[in-house]
Amino acid sequence: MMQVPGEVQIIKEDNVTHSFCGLACVGWLYQKIKDSFFLILGTHTCAHFLQNALGMMIFAKPRFGIALIEEGDLSKSEPTLEEIIAEIKADHNPSVIFLLSSCTPEVMKVDFKGLSEHLSTPELPVLFVPASGLVYNFTQAEDSVLHALVPFCPEAPAGEKKVVFLGSVNDATADDLRAEAEELGIPVGGFLPESRFDRMPAIGPDTVLAPVQPYLSRVAIKLERERGAKILTSLFPFGPDGTRVFWEDLAREFGITVDLADREKAAWEKIKPQTDLLRGKKVFFTADTMMELPLARFLKSAGADVVECSSAYINKKALGRELRALEGTKVVEQPNFHRQLEDIKRERPDMIVTSLMTANPFVGHGFIVKWSMEFTLMPIHSWSGVFTLANLFVSPFNRRSKLPPFDETVWLEGVMPGAEQAH
Amino acid sequence: MRLAFWLYEGTALHGISRVTNSMKGVHTVYHAPQGDDYITATYTMLERTPEFPGLSISVVRGRDLAQGVSRLPATLQQVDRHYSPELTVIAPSCSTALLQEDLRQLAMHSGVPEEKLLVYALNPFRVTENEAADGLFTELVKRYAKEQEKTTAPSVNILGFTSLGFHLRANLTSLRRMLQVLGVNVNVVAPWGAGPADLEKLPAAWLNIAPYREIGATAAGYLGERFGMPAVTTAPLGVEPTRRWLEEIIEKINAIAARKGLSGIAMPPMRAFSLDGISAPSGVPWFARTADMESFSGKKAFVFGDATHTVGVVRFLRDELGMQIIGAGTYLHRHADWVRSQLEGYLPGELVVTDRFQEISSIIENELPDLVCGTQMERHSCRKLDVPCMVISPPTHIENHLLGYYPFFGFDGADIMADRVYLSCKLGLEKHLIDFFGDAGLEYEDEAGEHTVMAVSVNGEENGEGGGNNVPANAAPADADGMAWTDEAENMLKKVPFFVRKKVRKNTENFALGQGESCITAEVFRRAKEHLGG
Repeated sequence: MMQVPGEVQIIKEDNVTHSFCGLACVGWLYQKIKDSFFLILGTHTCAHFLQNALGMMIFAKPRFGIALIEEGDLSKSEPTLEEIIAEIKADHNPSVIFLLSSCTPEVMKVDFKGLSEHLSTPELPVLFVPASGLVYNFTQAEDSVLHALVPFCPEAPAGEKKVVFLGSVNDATADDLRAEAEELGIPVGGFLPESRFDRMPAIGPDTVLAPVQPYLSRVAIKLERERGAKILTSLFPFGPDGTRVFWEDLAREFGITVDLADREKAAWEKIKPQTDLLRGKKVFFTADTMMELPLARFLKSAGADVVECSSAYINKKALGRELRALEGTKVVEQPNFHRQLEDIKRERPDMIVTSLMTANPFVGHGFIVKWSMEFTLMPIHSWSGVFTLANLFVSPFNRRSKLPPFDETVWLEGVMPGAEQAH
Repeated sequence: MRLAFWLYEGTALHGISRVTNSMKGVHTVYHAPQGDDYITATYTMLERTPEFPGLSISVVRGRDLAQGVSRLPATLQQVDRHYSPELTVIAPSCSTALLQEDLRQLAMHSGVPEEKLLVYALNPFRVTENEAADGLFTELVKRYAKEQEKTTAPSVNILGFTSLGFHLRANLTSLRRMLQVLGVNVNVVAPWGAGPADLEKLPAAWLNIAPYREIGATAAGYLGERFGMPAVTTAPLGVEPTRRWLEEIIEKINAIAARKGLSGIAMPPMRAFSLDGISAPSGVPWFARTADMESFSGKKAFVFGDATHTVGVVRFLRDELGMQIIGAGTYLHRHADWVRSQLEGYLPGELVVTDRFQEISSIIENELPDLVCGTQMERHSCRKLDVPCMVISPPTHIENHLLGYYPFFGFDGADIMADRVYLSCKLGLEKHLIDFFGDAGLEYEDEAGEHTVMAVSVNGEENGEGGGNNVPANAAPADADGMAWTDEAENMLKKVPFFVRKKVRKNTENFALGQGESCITAEVFRRAKEHLGG
């Protein structure tokens, strides 16, 4: 365990944890960018991961696939993907192919940049997206996808002062954010990503980038450096508190002063039954999706007691405001799951926000859990997301209160094959 | 290199974890990058395990590789401290296998005693799920099984039952019930629920039962060679195979009893195997003989799955339900020869051996069988094609991990299979009634189809204006890849009961293609009907 120097104390551990690799972002991004195809250069493991962990089987002709590295391919100097690209083109006719790296070709030192340039045509760009679990965690590869999209964002001329929202949100949430901005008098340049490849937003020196997802620091820095765009550093628009600060800060960038105190108060009022229930509840985040910091901050504002907020990576600049708001809370980067288990057994939190891999076993140990992955898929942004966000945290408590008492010595007998059985 | 969307078998790591997750006191450490422990979710979500599966990851990061750092020793220490397993299996993933590290050497640095560690490094580019699971299980049996006295009373080991197995709990219950009726004790079930101490006492049993070709049969072979233990390796799928399975157990137990100078066991009356103890143990033999099931003789089935289930289900459908087998296949190349030998005389053509679901999907589309027995992927393909399908084989899906008692093995299993065949195919008695009385108002199921026909007619008019070819003015393609049909032919097709309409359309088009026709007119349709006998 080491302490990272800086304003807010972050405990850093050794990353022995249960979470997904960067390929997980395919799960939502292929649905977001509707004329895309996500091609993963990977192995049987990558394919098995996508079909199992993300339940991808239900789609007949998904717009993602694996260029499967088989034993015979290991001895080749460079993978040949021409035929696969032709097959994708014939079957799906996408406007863009994202070529995602994975661990095996990374170890093989495949020249992805050269490969994608070689495969690209003006009609069908093939964009390299680093996503392997050797480097990237869960949501982090969305950063890589957006990075690859930057050259396809037109240059906005100087003087065109508009906001571009950074991060994929579903189309309805995007409409809400746009409407809210316009109501405040903020001109909207668009979203990165938009739902079509040919409609990526113009970005230039007077663009204000407003990150709406907390795991996209690299693309923001790239756009700041290459286009001179300004990055909004604020809270993320989750919960009444974060949403108010986000919009007030964004408006200020456009010389607009607004006081959204009443709006925030009304939003808290709307979720009063939920916050009444959350007040004083001990909540533990084990680390999974990298959305942990803003979610923990919302819970803290709602009166909950966040006993640990762990996250795979914490960019101290992009999450600076969130970290300050979490002052006094135990924040851990790259946590150790074994240590967490011991702390959880000792501290007995009222709720654990955790991955798909660990949720049911925590329930088996008598805890109330929430799947962390749900927060990446549900519309929890801005004012319109407040109710959904609060309910996501409250629903496990409500459900538990609806079920009869549970005697685990009776009803868990023999359920776990590896557990010792009493007879 | 090929483009893959979905695969039947998981990785070697998945096979390894299926064995260790089944066991007590055994942990797996993946030496792998972030995310390769996604497999954990298959246990906690599909089997809903209320405990943490014994799976940990020793994360390999790009930076570690650059710096030559390995976290494996530290992870092994943590696992030892937190879970104190009797054995930790260390397995590389596909990417770390390429690094060619000496995992044994690294593991020794942990200070964890060598006898508590097992490096199981396979070539993950060559070995997949079932072979890895079977291999590791055999390895563990070799490691722990010890020569010892046989149990006094007749006893058996049940081998090969493994986490995420197909209807595993119910199958095990079914076998335990039958063995109880025979008066044979279960010495050890493994790997499911077994620890190293249980593996040690495997040789105390009189006999091994290893019904799965994929996992457990190799270990039974080893126990036979090393300890002279006989084995029953057939799967009790269907009524007659179950009877023969029972007879084989009795015969082998009695041979040992005779050598020991003990009295043997006798086959109890069949009713003793029924759930209530006073009835026939299965309804299948009578069900198959009832008059309304006569239509099953004309039903065509296609079967696809692993080795054990493909063989068992093909035989069951033909031998016990009297259905026609139009083809079968397996995704397990390694067991294809065995499947072929077991199904000799059952298949009209070659056994299909492929792990590409698209090939199976196109066979189903071309043949339009009355029943497909397959994996969850075939069920998915069949849903699109509106072909009846029942799931008979792993890989398992959350819908194969239901709460109720749905075995496939034993007499109980034969009843479950027959019920599922019946419910999937339906239209036994109903079909006769419809043939007698027309479609009896069942047309409602095809509302969407009606709209298609109307849209076709509109397109047809547009097409007609274009002219210029020999397609009649009022004909147009029924859908993107179908042939053109005239309105008159479409109307005739509408008179065919909805549940066979798709098939008639397809057969008619195939006939027309063979005749060199480019459009289905009423006349072509009539000729096709005559030719196809319907």
